[in-house]
Amino acid sequence: MSAVSQPLAATPGPAALPWRPTGKLTGWMLLAPTLAFLLLCFAWPVLQMMTLSFTAQVVDGNTIKGLTLANYARLFSTDLYFRILARTLRVAASASALSVVLAYPLAIAIARGGPMLSRLVTITVVAPLLVNVVVRSYGWSAILNKSGALNWLLKSAGLAVDPKPLLYTEWAVLIACVHVYLPFMVMPLATAISKIDHSIEEAARIAGASRAAAFFRVLLPLSLPGLSVGVSLVFSLSAAAYVTPQILGGNLSPLLGTLVEQQIISLSDWPFGAAIATLLIVIVLAINLLLLRFFNRRFARWAGGAR
Amino acid sequence: MNQSLSLPLKIVVGILLVLVIAPLVVPVLMSISDTPNIVFPPQGFTLKWYAKVVQNPEAQASFTFSLQLAAVVTLLSLTLGVPAAAGLARYEIPGRGLVLGLMLSPLVVPLIVTGVALLQLFSILGSRATFLQLVIGHTVVCLPYVMRSVTASFVLVNRSLEDAAAVMGAPPHQVALKVIWPQVRPGVLAGAVFAFIVSFDDYPISMWMADGAHFPVPLYMHQMIERSFDPSIAAIAALMIFFALLLVLIIEKVFGISIARLAT
Repeated sequence: MSAVSQPLAATPGPAALPWRPTGKLTGWMLLAPTLAFLLLCFAWPVLQMMTLSFTAQVVDGNTIKGLTLANYARLFSTDLYFRILARTLRVAASASALSVVLAYPLAIAIARGGPMLSRLVTITVVAPLLVNVVVRSYGWSAILNKSGALNWLLKSAGLAVDPKPLLYTEWAVLIACVHVYLPFMVMPLATAISKIDHSIEEAARIAGASRAAAFFRVLLPLSLPGLSVGVSLVFSLSAAAYVTPQILGGNLSPLLGTLVEQQIISLSDWPFGAAIATLLIVIVLAINLLLLRFFNRRFARWAGGAR
Repeated sequence: MNQSLSLPLKIVVGILLVLVIAPLVVPVLMSISDTPNIVFPPQGFTLKWYAKVVQNPEAQASFTFSLQLAAVVTLLSLTLGVPAAAGLARYEIPGRGLVLGLMLSPLVVPLIVTGVALLQLFSILGSRATFLQLVIGHTVVCLPYVMRSVTASFVLVNRSLEDAAAVMGAPPHQVALKVIWPQVRPGVLAGAVFAFIVSFDDYPISMWMADGAHFPVPLYMHQMIERSFDPSIAAIAALMIFFALLLVLIIEKVFGISIARLAT
């Protein structure tokens, strides 16, 4: 799911052998159908939609064409929409932060635990990805609603007499987003941690570092590449989530995804819906660039210090 | 490399695993409750909600439709993706980075945005072909999974084996079939499996294009959550959880593909 992929090693073979096709033309012919498909059915529609957000606006049900920033002005100046934008960024940021905290123990268990434990944790963390996101969100709504599993547990334990339901609050959306996207934090982190030479940690411990110090000054800085991949994935996915906020937040805590759907399906305001969708792309690209380029470079010094 | 983890860490990991599993266990528990409304903890034991779901024609239609859609999407993704991956990995392509970037970009653009952009395109074209729209939308999203997996395996192909076979007189189609194919087969299989799963589970693309006659399982499930209040909704959730467990088993044991690759 990551924006970055390992660069492909060019593998030019010995061109002199006559039976191996090496021409650029053959390569392009193999690529052409897929390129055409993606340009026509992905790049073009997305650009077309972004253009629409700048070239039309709907006033009193009539579409007025012409270059305009009115859709964006409306998004940022209307209190209701601005609060939804703020909530989206808040949920995405909190979900990322919470996933980091929860993912480290799991990633360490995968990278450093015995083979049995490592496999158990991997399967348990990743298997939910095969369960449909609607079902996972429904599972949380069954736990968090008024007569749900959590309140039953709290009441039976005598911790609360009349606990408030968490369902249809921002908290519910946050909890479910963390659960749904946690695998995308754990796996890159586990990969990064397994690449760290274990003797560096041992050296730190032998030199007298506490477990905490060994974590914060060795493991954490050295696993930052994995961390930045995980954060950019969880942030992007949560910011653009639709199903989970819909099921757990209802109409009381919508995020931007719900707003796009409302504007286009219910109100047929395509230009405004396109503006919100464009903003979602900008948010996702911004977090990816920020984390994968800028932070990686800055953290390199910190991580370098640990070596 | 293995170090025994400290006890507190093991306890934390245990608690986290329980939390990860909890939302999958609760619906299963609720689905066997012999009560007209959905309750926790479940009371009594019955399988009637499962019977109700399995016999429901709408549920059956959705399930069949999702399977058909995912099968067509997987085939189309492989047809487009495998040659493209071969082209990218085995030939000198100027601007390779740019091409690969475009191929993987459907993973970066939010799915809901891709969906709405496609809906706009289809409405400009005046298209009413719902099935075709869904196939196109899903294929855009599934292609990157095929590309990533298949390109990686093409890059790893051992060129000396091809040279050896050719020098020994094997014609090109034999080299392709007997030397290259066995080496890329695992990558193609993994790509196919991931494409199938991504299509079968898709919500944010389907929601824009589906109609009553073309109604994939995830949309049906969401509709049921909003409409029904008896434990049959928990039974549908439980069935989908069992289906996922079966998939995990098949993928890991039969195909030998690590599902961990889904999250990387």
